[in-house]
Amino acid sequence: MTRLALEAGAFTRAIYLQYIALFQWATVQGYVAYKVLLPVTQILFFTELGVYATGRQNALYFALGNALQLTANAGIFGVIATVANERQYGTLPILLASPANRLVTFLSRAIVNVIDGIATVIVGVAIAVVLFGLDLHQSNLPLMFVCVIVISLTTAGMGLLFGSIGLVMRDAIIIANVVYYLLLIVCGINFPISRLPAAIQVISNGLPLTRGVEAAREAAAGASIGHVQGLLAGELLVGVVYAFLGYVLFRLFEAYARRGGLQESY
Amino acid sequence: MKSLVRAAYRSFYVSLRLRVVSTWAYLNWLLFPTIFTAVGLFVLSRPGASATHLTYGVLGGGLIGYWGIAYIDGGNAIQDERWNGTLEQIFAVPTPLWVILLGKIVGSLLFGILAFVPTVAFAYLGFHAVLPNLDAASFAISMGVLTFTFLVIALTLTPLFALWRWAFSMLNGFELGVYVLCGFMFPVTVLAPWAQGVGDLLAPTWATRALYASTTSEGPHDFALWWIVAIALSLVYLVSAYFLYALVERRARVSGELALA
Repeated sequence: MTRLALEAGAFTRAIYLQYIALFQWATVQGYVAYKVLLPVTQILFFTELGVYATGRQNALYFALGNALQLTANAGIFGVIATVANERQYGTLPILLASPANRLVTFLSRAIVNVIDGIATVIVGVAIAVVLFGLDLHQSNLPLMFVCVIVISLTTAGMGLLFGSIGLVMRDAIIIANVVYYLLLIVCGINFPISRLPAAIQVISNGLPLTRGVEAAREAAAGASIGHVQGLLAGELLVGVVYAFLGYVLFRLFEAYARRGGLQESY
Repeated sequence: MKSLVRAAYRSFYVSLRLRVVSTWAYLNWLLFPTIFTAVGLFVLSRPGASATHLTYGVLGGGLIGYWGIAYIDGGNAIQDERWNGTLEQIFAVPTPLWVILLGKIVGSLLFGILAFVPTVAFAYLGFHAVLPNLDAASFAISMGVLTFTFLVIALTLTPLFALWRWAFSMLNGFELGVYVLCGFMFPVTVLAPWAQGVGDLLAPTWATRALYASTTSEGPHDFALWWIVAIALSLVYLVSAYFLYALVERRARVSGELALA
C-alpha cells in the first residue's frame, strides 16, 4: 500500500513536471501561436479547400475532421517533444540513470498531452462553429465529447510509441512532423478512407483517429452511443496497443541507448 | 563589394551544408509537400472536377513546400544560431547582417524549389495529373517573380526572428494562414472579401495568381499587371526592411540580450 502511494505520488509529480517542461514556451505569444493560430489556420485551410472542391454544404465534414485531428498535435508532437527535449536540454542521461519506475515515467508523459489535446479540440470546434456557421443543434454533444477524449488518449498512445524513438534518435521531432501530417491522408480526416488504395486502407484501420473520427462524425449527425460503441471500442484498443508497443520499445531503446551512450549525443 | 559577395556565398554554402547534416532533414522537403499534394489531389480530384481543380492539386503542394522551406527554414536558421550560441557573433562581425541572411535565404530558396520535384512526380504517378495548357514562358516568369517575392519577404522578416523569439513562433503558427491568403491550393476568390483584401497586400498572392493563370486557358491573363503588383509590393517591403534592419541592429546592441530574446 505504501509502495503504491509512493508511486502515485511520483506519478502526480511527474505529470506536474511534464506540464512545466512541456509548456516552458507558454508565454502569451507562444500560446496564441500554437494553441489559437495553428488550429484556426489548419481548420480554415482544409475547410476552404473542401469548400472550393465540393461546395459550402460540406464545410462541417472538413471542419470537424480537422478539429479532431488537432488532438494529434498534442498527442503526437507533445509526447514526442517531451523525450526530444530531454535530449536537447541534456537531461536524458539523468532521467535514464534515475531509479524511477519506468511505467510511471512513461505514462506520465502522456497525461498532460491528453488534457491539452481535449482543450485544443474544444477550441477548434468552437472556432469552426463561429467561422463557418456550423449547426450542431442535431448533434449528440456529450457523445462527441466522449469521442474527443477517446481520440486524445489514442493519439497519445501513438505519441508514446514514436516518443520512444527519441531515446536513440536526434531528429525525432521530424518524425513527429511527418506522422502528424500523414494522418491527414490516411485517417479519413478530409476524405473517406474508401478512396484510398486497398493496402493503405488496411493501414488506416490500424491507426488511431480513423474510427474515432468516424464515430465523432456519427455523433455530430445525432447518433447514439449504441451506434458508435463498436467504433469507440476499436479506437481504444488501437490506442492501448500503441501505448503497449511504445512501452516495450521504450525499455528496449533505453537499454540500447545505455549501451551505445546515445542518450548524450546531440 | 567582392567581400560582401564572398560573405553571402559562404553563408549560403554553410547553410546548405548544415541543412543536410542529418539525412532525416530530407523528409521535410520530400514528404511534407507531398503529403499536402496527396490531400489536395484526393479532395480536388473528385469525379467531374474541372481541370483547374487538378492544377491546384498538382502545384499547390509544391508551393506549400517551397514557402515552408524558403521562409520557415530561413527563420529556423536564426533560431538555430540562437540555440548554438552563435547569434551574437553574427551581429558582432563587420559583415552587414543582411548579407549573411541573404546567403542563408538563397540557400533555403534553392532547397525549397526542389519541393516541386516530389510533388509533381507524385501528382503524375499517383493521379496521372499533368498541366496540359501550360504556357511555359509565362510560367517561368511567374515562378521567377514568386521566388523574388519569397526572397524579399524572408529578407524583410527574418531579422525580427533574431530580435524576438516569439516572432518566429507566431509566424510559424500562422503558416497555414499564408497558404490560405496567398491562394497556394485554391483561389483566393473563395475567401470572404476582407480576407481577399488582406491577401492582396501580400506579394506572393499576385505571383501565385499569375503562376496558376499560366497553366490554364480559362479566365483572365493579366500577367503584366500581376507581375508588376507583386514586384511593386516586394519593393515596398524592401524599403521597410531598410528601417527594420537599422532598428534590429540598434536594439540588439543596446539591450545585449540577443541570446535571451
